[in-house]
Amino acid sequence: MTYLFKQIGREWRFMLRQRYVLILLLCSFLVSGFAVFTGLAEVAQQQQTIERLKLADVRDRLEAQAKYNDPGSLAYYSFHLTYSEPSSLAFAALGERDVYPWKHRVRMLALEGQIYESDSQNAELAQAGKIDFVFVISALAPLFIILLFHDLIASERSSGRHDLLVSTAKSKYALWGSRGLVRFGAVVLCLMLPFYIGAMISSTGFQAVLLISLWCVVYLAFWTVLSVWLGKNLASAPRIASMLIACWVLLAFVLPILSDLLINNSVHSAKGGDILLTQRETVNDAWDLPVSTTMEAFVTTHPQYSDYSHQGEGFDWGWYYAFQQVGDQAAGEFSNDYRAAAANKYKLAGYATLLSPPLLLQRKLNRLANTDALAAFEYEQDIRDFHKALRMAYYPWLFAQEKFDKTHLTSLPQFKDSTHNYKKVQNEQ
Amino acid sequence: MSSHSFAKALVVAKDEWRYWLRSKLAISVLVIGLLLTLSSVIVTAVTMMELSHTRSSLQDTAEQTFVDQPDRHPHRMVHYGHYAFRVPSPLSTIDPGVDAFTGNSIFLEGHRQNSAMFADQKQGTALTSLGSLSPAFILQVLAPLLLILIAYSSVSRERESQTLSFIVSQGTSIFTLIIGKGLALLCVVGLIMLPLIASSGIAIMQGESIVVVLSFLSAYILYLLVWSLVVLLVSTAVSKNSESFTALLFVWILFCIVMPRIASSTASASIVSPGKLETDFAVIAELRKLGDGHNANDPAFSQLKASLLRQYSVQTVEELPINFRGAVARASEAQLTEVLNRFAENSMQEELAQTQLARSFGWLSPMVAIRSLSMISAGTSIETHHRFMREAEDLRFSFVQSLNQVHVNKLNYADDMNRNANAEAGQKARVSAENWQMIQDFEFQLESASARLQRSLPAFAQLFMWIAIAGALIRFFGRRAV
Repeated sequence: MTYLFKQIGREWRFMLRQRYVLILLLCSFLVSGFAVFTGLAEVAQQQQTIERLKLADVRDRLEAQAKYNDPGSLAYYSFHLTYSEPSSLAFAALGERDVYPWKHRVRMLALEGQIYESDSQNAELAQAGKIDFVFVISALAPLFIILLFHDLIASERSSGRHDLLVSTAKSKYALWGSRGLVRFGAVVLCLMLPFYIGAMISSTGFQAVLLISLWCVVYLAFWTVLSVWLGKNLASAPRIASMLIACWVLLAFVLPILSDLLINNSVHSAKGGDILLTQRETVNDAWDLPVSTTMEAFVTTHPQYSDYSHQGEGFDWGWYYAFQQVGDQAAGEFSNDYRAAAANKYKLAGYATLLSPPLLLQRKLNRLANTDALAAFEYEQDIRDFHKALRMAYYPWLFAQEKFDKTHLTSLPQFKDSTHNYKKVQNEQ
Repeated sequence: MSSHSFAKALVVAKDEWRYWLRSKLAISVLVIGLLLTLSSVIVTAVTMMELSHTRSSLQDTAEQTFVDQPDRHPHRMVHYGHYAFRVPSPLSTIDPGVDAFTGNSIFLEGHRQNSAMFADQKQGTALTSLGSLSPAFILQVLAPLLLILIAYSSVSRERESQTLSFIVSQGTSIFTLIIGKGLALLCVVGLIMLPLIASSGIAIMQGESIVVVLSFLSAYILYLLVWSLVVLLVSTAVSKNSESFTALLFVWILFCIVMPRIASSTASASIVSPGKLETDFAVIAELRKLGDGHNANDPAFSQLKASLLRQYSVQTVEELPINFRGAVARASEAQLTEVLNRFAENSMQEELAQTQLARSFGWLSPMVAIRSLSMISAGTSIETHHRFMREAEDLRFSFVQSLNQVHVNKLNYADDMNRNANAEAGQKARVSAENWQMIQDFEFQLESASARLQRSLPAFAQLFMWIAIAGALIRFFGRRAV
């Protein structure tokens, strides 16, 4: 045991004297630190935005509610905020929150006409991608590891110390093992330390931190073993590094891109435009159709309102909201198809990531942080559920002539933050 | 440089090529690189042409369905709305830029400015988060790696095998040697550029300006020249092959992998852009002051009423020769659009400020410089998207106001007020479908060649700076090398 410690101590002092190793370690620490720092800033911005929106939303709705008195106009003029808060891990895995919306306002009109509105962020920045901890670990760290480990043996060989070292060491595992262990420990520490600080600041759950540490260490160990193993069999350091870089390009770019191409060509779905067009045509045609046509289509899905009678011959709010709903129903098949295709692609992409460790890690961590496409799908479903709850709350006043007074407005459904799914996700993991 | 030493440089270049053709590593890297570029050029061209075709046919369908609508109340057509589609630019076959990240269609309707919908990225697999198959990505990120793998040892090899001092003592100056190696590398650059040049030819046939295409191609050549110089520089400055390789790899990671993302993270963290949802609240607050254009009795329009009554010298709105409801709708749309445009313009400026901050990182990484230069020239940058938003807004405003004009002139006020009384009255409050013919053909046009060229000047300056720095450092280290 003491022999091992002595070995490690010696290798540690040896490492501290190698300028190039120190520079690499410093860089990995700085990059990881920067990623965590901007991740924290981004998440803080998102949280502040949501807080501001919540306030503005309530104020805006109260103003609308003060202005109108009948349920039809109230439903037409009140918007409702929905949102999905960033989880306590989002700072490390910003995920796809710059592609999918995480805030949305809806009202009681046809939902298919509203839900694809997106309040996305700067597209040119999204295209470049942001630097977050997940990116640092999955894409950058392997490169640092390659730089650190490919010449572990070859450098000694080229400086002529190799044979001497091997013959004086107790065993080759003691020699290369302790040297590798010291370097590995140092690089893991430099990469993970900023994450731990970030996790402390955003009070991330202990279990999640532990799980992430485990995955990261396993992942980094994979690249280390690959580097050392390849390095053992080849003589020249640049040759080893070229092979390793080729592996990295293959795993991080080529295989994922090919899978993406394959998946996109095999999964077909309704075009987004079809959903919108169907919905719009149905809603607009309804104005010219007899009231009974719309109401029949509405009552088939809402039988409880079968005794609704149209008020007068002209405009009536009940009829208006009925044809909004019928518009959604008409587009429903396209819409389901569209979402099913997206979900299917997500699933297939899951199989494809098995070929690509960097993307597998990204996917795992984004899932854990609830910032991936699946989280966005769940958020969209939450909006749909909320919209339905809202309709169900208004319908009795519109279709069953239930007595309405404005005190009832307080009992309208409230949107609950979409990240309640977060706990569910963690339990699944 | 005398013709004598140029001949020597040519010999060096030939020799370098002979070395590469013998080396298994160099030849396989070269073949893989060419195959990748070629396949990405083909796949991206096919994809973008398909997209272009789909979108222009969708645009035609949208115009046709609008015109085919039956007789209606004109304001119903305002809400029926219209669509605008962004057809990708010819050079998007090389650099699709933000195309997949912004929506490519906008629903246009009265009283609202919608955002672009259905960004392709949302139906994506997230597998391309590290890089995409676009020729732009291959050339910007992978081509430099290829140059490094082929040529990291170009000068350091001669030193390591101690042929360098031999060559120099034979009368070949170190710079002739470097220039020769540089010429050999330029041939590689030329090879990589071939598929790109072919694809640009197609873009010219599709109507892209020749000047833009030339500047686009020369930007990529300059960029790869920067990398060739960097490779030669490092190979000259260090003493061992392995050191040269490690150092170059490190520079590549920094420039191509880390910097672009640091740029966008910095930009979004330091310039906060509130987003459409948040500005919408401010818009709504402003709009409430304007009054509801659906309600002709809204007190906000009393001034309009008074001035119209005075203009036509009548006592009541019923006596007006025009439809007062239509006049209210027209006036309120104009006011509202002014507010909407002010806010939209503001948020576009914020986005632009963010983008420009990110682009200034081109002084720190040539990859950031070529990235913005490429997107700007190809017409796939954020500015082109903003232009699309503005053009779509012009289309929206013009068709809504034309309908309001029809409302003012062709629909009787009494019939209009009576429209909800019964079915017959509803029929009477309509105008003929012939009026829908006024919808304009929409075809999204890119910014002019000169505007795009002018916008790309800073990025060109960044690339030239890199060339100057690398050139100067090569001179410095070349002198020290011998």
